[in-house]
Amino acid sequence: MTSAQWARLSQDLFNAAMAAYIAAMVGYFHYLVFRKRPAWIAARGLAVVGVGAHTASVVSRGIAAGRVPWGNMYEYSSLLALLVVAGYLVIVEGRYKVRTLGGFVLAFSVLTMGIAAVRLRVPPGPLVPALNSYWIKIHVVAAIVGSSLFALGGGVLTILYLVQDARERREAATLAAQAPPPIMGGASIDTDPDAPPHFEAGGDDPAAGTTPVPRALLPPAAVLDRMAYRTIAFAFPIWTFAVIAGAIWAENAWGRYWGWDPKETWSFITWVIYAGYLHARSTAGWKGRKAAVLALVGFASLLVTYYAVNLFIVGLHSYAGVP
Amino acid sequence: MSDVRRSLALVWRTLRSMRTALVLLLLLAVAAIAGSLIPQAMNSPARVEAMFRDHPALARFYNAAGLFDVYGSWWFTFIYTLLLISLAACLLPRSRALVRNVRARPVAARELDGFRHYAERTIPADPERVITGARRVLRRRLFRVEAANGRAPGLAADKGLAREAGSLLFHWSFFLILIGIVWGKGTGFTGFAVIAEGETWTEAHANYDGNIREGRFFNEDHSGVQIRVDDFQVTYGPNLVPKDFVTRGELLDPRGNPVRRVDIRVNHPAEEGGVKFYQSGFGWAPVIEVRDGGDVLYRGPVPFAEDPPPKGVGQLQLPWHGVVRLPTLDPQAGIQFELWPDSRALLMLQSTGVAPPMPYAFAPVMRYTVYRGNLDASPVRSSTRLDTTLLHTEASGIVGAATTVDVASGRIVEPGPSGAIDYPKGLSITFPELRRYTVLEVARDRGLWIELLAAILILLGLLPALYTSRRKVWVTAEPDGGAGTVLKVGGFALQRKTQFEEEFDRLVNELAGASSGRAEGS
Repeated sequence: MTSAQWARLSQDLFNAAMAAYIAAMVGYFHYLVFRKRPAWIAARGLAVVGVGAHTASVVSRGIAAGRVPWGNMYEYSSLLALLVVAGYLVIVEGRYKVRTLGGFVLAFSVLTMGIAAVRLRVPPGPLVPALNSYWIKIHVVAAIVGSSLFALGGGVLTILYLVQDARERREAATLAAQAPPPIMGGASIDTDPDAPPHFEAGGDDPAAGTTPVPRALLPPAAVLDRMAYRTIAFAFPIWTFAVIAGAIWAENAWGRYWGWDPKETWSFITWVIYAGYLHARSTAGWKGRKAAVLALVGFASLLVTYYAVNLFIVGLHSYAGVP
Repeated sequence: MSDVRRSLALVWRTLRSMRTALVLLLLLAVAAIAGSLIPQAMNSPARVEAMFRDHPALARFYNAAGLFDVYGSWWFTFIYTLLLISLAACLLPRSRALVRNVRARPVAARELDGFRHYAERTIPADPERVITGARRVLRRRLFRVEAANGRAPGLAADKGLAREAGSLLFHWSFFLILIGIVWGKGTGFTGFAVIAEGETWTEAHANYDGNIREGRFFNEDHSGVQIRVDDFQVTYGPNLVPKDFVTRGELLDPRGNPVRRVDIRVNHPAEEGGVKFYQSGFGWAPVIEVRDGGDVLYRGPVPFAEDPPPKGVGQLQLPWHGVVRLPTLDPQAGIQFELWPDSRALLMLQSTGVAPPMPYAFAPVMRYTVYRGNLDASPVRSSTRLDTTLLHTEASGIVGAATTVDVASGRIVEPGPSGAIDYPKGLSITFPELRRYTVLEVARDRGLWIELLAAILILLGLLPALYTSRRKVWVTAEPDGGAGTVLKVGGFALQRKTQFEEEFDRLVNELAGASSGRAEGS
């Protein structure tokens, strides 16, 4: 096959993956609301198919360009979206057995791919000299894995935690307002992370409550919080390594390991905010929601590091390749 | 006196608190954002100049507030200094406590059933055997184990000191980074060398033409290493993005003896005498000769510069410009050149109004204008652009490669029958050939290995700090009155408490299985 045919194939697979993701997203949201097991099975199957097609798309893009398939922003976005979905399937569904969050994760990936397809798509080409180094394999891979985990933990899971936490607080306030207060049952937050839709905090017997308690769609806030924390704690050393590898590469390419280039600055800011998040979780008065807001700020900073620095701020890292 | 001491103690306590450190950390992030939004003199001097031109009042305010040099400003320094002091204040007692904890052995506990994690098993074995088995299991699980015999034989065990040790290593390493920066930048330098093909450049202060930043403790011990540039090559890809550029040449020691041949590329610097040469930029350096009658006033390659392109125009579509100054003439003269590396582009510009890109040279031509007047009258010191406001135009014309032009008439001077040129009276300009020049970044940083070490320590510390947890376990074995033993296990987790529940159950199974010969629980 010629390079152009590989590029064509890559693009077709990209579109197929995106279609599969969109269908899977619909399936996951359906499962979130109605808890029909077939919907989840179908959604999960579609997501896996999407990951397969997406992986093939990334590989064929690499063959078309004759180099690693993360040399410009289109390719980076595509790989990031792929890793976020794969990370969700492995970490959230595989490890934590939480099935209800797929729709949100896929929505993030579909959005990222949409922006990539509309705004950032460029034909495959050789790397600019500054990128032509084996460090692209080390630094960029670490950055992309770290980013995808931050997007998952600091972005999607943290937003869901804040939503669910607000809900639980409202419910607790409602319950507290009722007299006499109901006895809090043994519904430990740890035992059932994937609670059925009629899971009610503090209400073991549905008949006992006179006011209908709204159904809890999401896993309990404590579970979301723990998942978000674990994901971020997993991402943080990877991001640290990405920044260090970037510094070593910069020393090699530009003669200094740190020059406060916008990309360096923003990856540092992101690092600082997540470092703050990790500390905040063990600081009195910062636990819970305040720490979560920090994680969210870190996610925003990550988006700036990625989109704004590449597209709008002039610096040495202007590799977007977007004309 | 006691008031002073009390307020000092308060300051110290405040500095030590995690909350202060957290606020300072976030303040550092906010300050860094300012530096990424406002152009920095260090990274984009042209944009700072533009600010001064377009918004003088705002630019003066920024300048006064140090916002054009955020990362070198007093307030940025103040924030990270405070942060480091706060960090040290927090780390010192923690380090002492860690040393104490490492020295101290696990301590016996009195009532095991008071712990959050507690289990009891009856085992058909005597207490001695149960304790021996339990000790083996705990040791294998990397617990530190100590005999703790109260009313019954028992053990006290703990693990996870690596968490605190890793955390401390991680945090202390930032001081190492600071040491690396101060030592490396302080005793080093960074400069830029502009070298035309065929020239030899010596690493010495004067040869940087002012394009050098030397550290505070730098004592002018430049290396004297020389580099001869034989050839500079650039190849462009299909969409005129540079695909590869390389400086080929030879490194020479300070006495001029060849050391080795080098190809310097982006990502492939060359090092000699503790100094590194990095590929940084490139451009055109036409060789220019200016004569007055037969006397050579100037001869050599002149590095030309390019202007930032206007919107919608590619950099390669623009001509290059450069200057030759003739201060010995009376009145002084300066010649402003405009180089078209590809003369077809100039023709296209004149016929269609649009110049195509000029990645490679093709029959290059230069337009020139000769100015007369006092060159030193202008305060502007540009090596590629004459300030012509106080000068008057004497002549202008065009000169092609490998030709000589008589400035007075603007005509080409044809060589005589022997091939030699009979130079005219007055000024003449010769353009023997067009060469490329390379820009090499030249740097010495002796702190690099410290930074690398610090980075490694940061990562080494981070992993146990994030992924190991502190656990304490106590075991007692009491005879149950018969031939068996009641095994009591108490556990306490300082981190990841929910995860410890499963861990604890597994551990109890193993402890119980160790002496009864049963298969150990998994």
